[in-house]
Amino acid sequence: MATYDAIIIGAGHNGLVTATYLAKAGKKTLVLERRPIVGGIAVTEEISPGFKFSTCAHLAGSFSSGIVADLDLKNHGFELLGLDPLLFAPSLDGNSLLIPRDFYKAAAEIGHYSKFDADKYPAFCALAKNLSAFLQTLYGIALPDKANPRSFNPAELLKIGWKFHRLGEKEMYEFLRVLPMSAADWLNEWFENDLLKATLAASGILGSFVGPRQQGTAFNLLHHQIGASNGALRTSGFVRGGIGQLSQALAKAAQRFGVEIRTGAEVLKIVTNSGSASGIVLQNGEEIDATQVISSADVKRTFLKLVEPTYLGPHFLLQIQNIRARGTVAKVNLALDALPKFKSSNGNDAVALGGVIHIGPTLDYLERACDDAKYGRLSAQPFLEITIPSIADPSLAPTGKHVMSVWMQSAPYDLRGSDWSQQRDTLGDRVVNLIEEYAPGFKNSILHRQILTPFDLETEYSLTEGHFYHGEMALDQIFFMRPVPGWSRYHTPIENLYLCGSGTHPGGGVTGLPGYYAAKEILKNRSRQK
Amino acid sequence: MPNYDAIIIGAGHNGLTSAAYLGKAGKKVLVLERRHVLGGSAVTEEIYPGFKYSVCSYVVSLLRPEVIRDLELPKYDLEIIPLDSTFTPMPDGNYLFRCGDHARTRREIARHSVPDAEAYEEYGQLMVQMAMAVKPLLGMIPPEPTTWNPKDLFGLARVGNHFRGLGEKLLYDLTKLMTMSSADFLDEWFETNVLKATMSASGIIGTFMGPRSPGTAYVLLHHYMGELDGAFRSWGFARGGMGSISRVIAEAARHHGAEIRTQAPVDQVLIKSGRACGVVLASGEEIQSKVVVSGVDPKRTFLKMVDGRHLDAEFTKQVSNFKIRGSSAKVNLALDALPNFTSMPGDGPHLAGAVSISPSLDYIERAYDDAKYGDYSRRPYMDIILPSMLDPSMAPPGKHVMSIFVQYAPYHLKNGTWPEKREALGDAVIETLSEYAPNLKNIILHRQVVTPWDLEQEFGLTEGNIFQGELTLDQLFFLRPVPGWAKYRTPIKNLYMCGACTHPGGGVMAASGRLAALEILKDMKLRLI
Repeated sequence: MATYDAIIIGAGHNGLVTATYLAKAGKKTLVLERRPIVGGIAVTEEISPGFKFSTCAHLAGSFSSGIVADLDLKNHGFELLGLDPLLFAPSLDGNSLLIPRDFYKAAAEIGHYSKFDADKYPAFCALAKNLSAFLQTLYGIALPDKANPRSFNPAELLKIGWKFHRLGEKEMYEFLRVLPMSAADWLNEWFENDLLKATLAASGILGSFVGPRQQGTAFNLLHHQIGASNGALRTSGFVRGGIGQLSQALAKAAQRFGVEIRTGAEVLKIVTNSGSASGIVLQNGEEIDATQVISSADVKRTFLKLVEPTYLGPHFLLQIQNIRARGTVAKVNLALDALPKFKSSNGNDAVALGGVIHIGPTLDYLERACDDAKYGRLSAQPFLEITIPSIADPSLAPTGKHVMSVWMQSAPYDLRGSDWSQQRDTLGDRVVNLIEEYAPGFKNSILHRQILTPFDLETEYSLTEGHFYHGEMALDQIFFMRPVPGWSRYHTPIENLYLCGSGTHPGGGVTGLPGYYAAKEILKNRSRQK
Repeated sequence: MPNYDAIIIGAGHNGLTSAAYLGKAGKKVLVLERRHVLGGSAVTEEIYPGFKYSVCSYVVSLLRPEVIRDLELPKYDLEIIPLDSTFTPMPDGNYLFRCGDHARTRREIARHSVPDAEAYEEYGQLMVQMAMAVKPLLGMIPPEPTTWNPKDLFGLARVGNHFRGLGEKLLYDLTKLMTMSSADFLDEWFETNVLKATMSASGIIGTFMGPRSPGTAYVLLHHYMGELDGAFRSWGFARGGMGSISRVIAEAARHHGAEIRTQAPVDQVLIKSGRACGVVLASGEEIQSKVVVSGVDPKRTFLKMVDGRHLDAEFTKQVSNFKIRGSSAKVNLALDALPNFTSMPGDGPHLAGAVSISPSLDYIERAYDDAKYGDYSRRPYMDIILPSMLDPSMAPPGKHVMSIFVQYAPYHLKNGTWPEKREALGDAVIETLSEYAPNLKNIILHRQVVTPWDLEQEFGLTEGNIFQGELTLDQLFFLRPVPGWAKYRTPIKNLYMCGACTHPGGGVMAASGRLAALEILKDMKLRLI
């Protein structure tokens, strides 16, 4: 009789989701977290006294509203703040794009640069919304894999077919056509203004190794529409108290259902007996047994560090090693004495900066920023996705001061001819100097600076190669190919060992969906085992 | 009473193939060619006296065996001489050499990396399996994925079943191949940079992508699917140049009663009551037919030759969105002697095969980067053959022709025009190649540079795209050339398409020409015409 029904490795948002659903179904569940706090990369950390940073992920709009409702997260302290404006995209030539929350006002703003684009904007948003909604429907379908090769049961197939046809002929073709396209090609079909196109294309390159001109980025764009987006811009929202509050709310919900959470408890390895997982061993030597072990850590880490390779087979191991998880994102978190004054915001900084801020004024700019990753270089002119959440949520900083969170691409994990400990400050300087170009005087307002290179992300947050999504969201690493072909249903070659992190279907982006679908699958198997 | 059953616009190899098949079925066919030469971009021209250039396309491999068989092409003296090897010289004097002799290739790769030599065998076997798996798709009419029409559903089921029948591993490998970049795909197999670069080069030919661009692994397979006497992946050279292929198909067409007129440019498709009923030549001459078949690309067809009033706005927009960005150029040289490669001095079998300037993945990727931002590659990728080594009739004794395929040369230049930059491109090519063969400049008797603009102006290829439309996933199979119009028919009744812009795409296959003809004959039989 095992001590626990299930042990979950890692208290990231997916791990917590899985734990809660298992506990809700009556399983005695233990979650083990290496760091002193829960949340994985969805954490709020006070890295400078009085200043609270969403140190890694900083936007949470994609988190499944279904899970929020199921687990009553609102009553556990989770509050999503809608962004207003949605986005501010300055450019050095003085033209900037400010996209307000109100849809029609947004079209009017776009109309300042191109009436043609303003006219197309609503139709584009509607299309993107429909396509990503269908994509989300597809995400919920049980995928065929080794254990269930013929599992495309006719009823499921018919359901997909029906939903597909509901799109209408035109959108059916659009779905098939757009899915493998490049974001640039797709946007070039609709719009003429480069700043608008770059702004929309940006969500197609988040976490990507390749730039907006490369195939697969249109899919990534649609993936980032999951949630209540308006169709064109990445679904985004701030969590009151920083994104860590989402994880805190999940932890509270988990505990309400009886989940035990231990922090400061690093798992050293997963114990296997005759090809079946039977528990774990902690760094300190403590052994804890369980009927099932579920890892929310990234897949490479799980199999190459935590599991005894004997039971894995050379082919499976090779596939795991071949998973591409080349981190290209760095974070720069800054405590500020005052709001930056952007040259092109017309003095309206407090209004303009309340949402997402993009430094990435043209498609070529974004493409060049990603080119550098190919050659193992830090981008000369990086793409920046910036948020200053203290405007909407003053609790994050002392009065009049601010926290700024900068997501930067590309900072390739594999630097040629150097390493990240040497380049860390260069990265920080490059980001700060770039913002200074757009907002003169900015540098003088910096009180504190934290730089998280891909190497730091790997060391501190256990992300292999610093990849936030646990593996690239490339066309060959999604759906039934994720994490590796044949193993898309969260189970592994080792019996009673499961996966539930972003490295599984449907991938990263703080959606909670991998954790949810994994729990569903595990519970299904459990009841079948009788 | 219309003069002809079918008029075919353009005597490219696909148009000629359609003509031959229609003629063979007893139809009265007229082919109208704008140029003075037949063949479209599969032509041999004596640009410099005594020297015959395959001006545009220069190698053949994918020519469909069923076309060769159905039209009895060997009867007309079609001879394809296999290109036995690929030689990649490297800047440091080293080289990579791969040839038909497996053992020799293995030893040669082992010289660079022993594990790669092992992997190469296995890789080749996998590619053959995948080529065989995909082959049936080349010869099939794409079913429509959006209808409940039983015939299409059945077609989709057939495709689905075919893939399921491949077995799990092959299906997964195929999925990877269809979606990955050639660099990523090859990275899983090999470690030798020059090997990966040379192999991934075939993944970028004719595309506006680099070896690290997702979607290029697929084109690896496309070029691997060639069959010469049943041997996959053998590329060959047509005796007499690429023009021989066109000549031979034209002879087959004429044998079946087709009429071919050159220097007869078509200006407009004649449309009455919403039906195509003939064409108007640039001269004003009107010729009537039951059916019109366009062998040119969809932009030229629908945006130039068809009056816009007959097309709805949505279709026109989709045609405008069809991606057809040219990225290649040709440099054809008449040489006084053989080039002398530092990596392998003197004459030798390496000059009777292909020479690839692809020393590393970064090299090709940088060449691509130049093009992305609107300029030709300062140090381009090149695929070179010396046809005169295999077919002495191509040049005077002791002299040679050199056919250089160049990437990248983007149709859309950020600064300047192609007529202004043509010679600069030629110079960049010669400069780069001279680094590997220092005697080159001394032996050049004549140089012809064919830019994407020239391909458009002279050979009718919109934006100079050699495949009449990019071979990206969103423009293949039932999405090619326009979603909903993948079966060679068009929104205009009795107007058909038969060029490489239709399934299965480009590469001197003659597949489109044949499939289009079969669909036309089907319609004719059902008296839909």
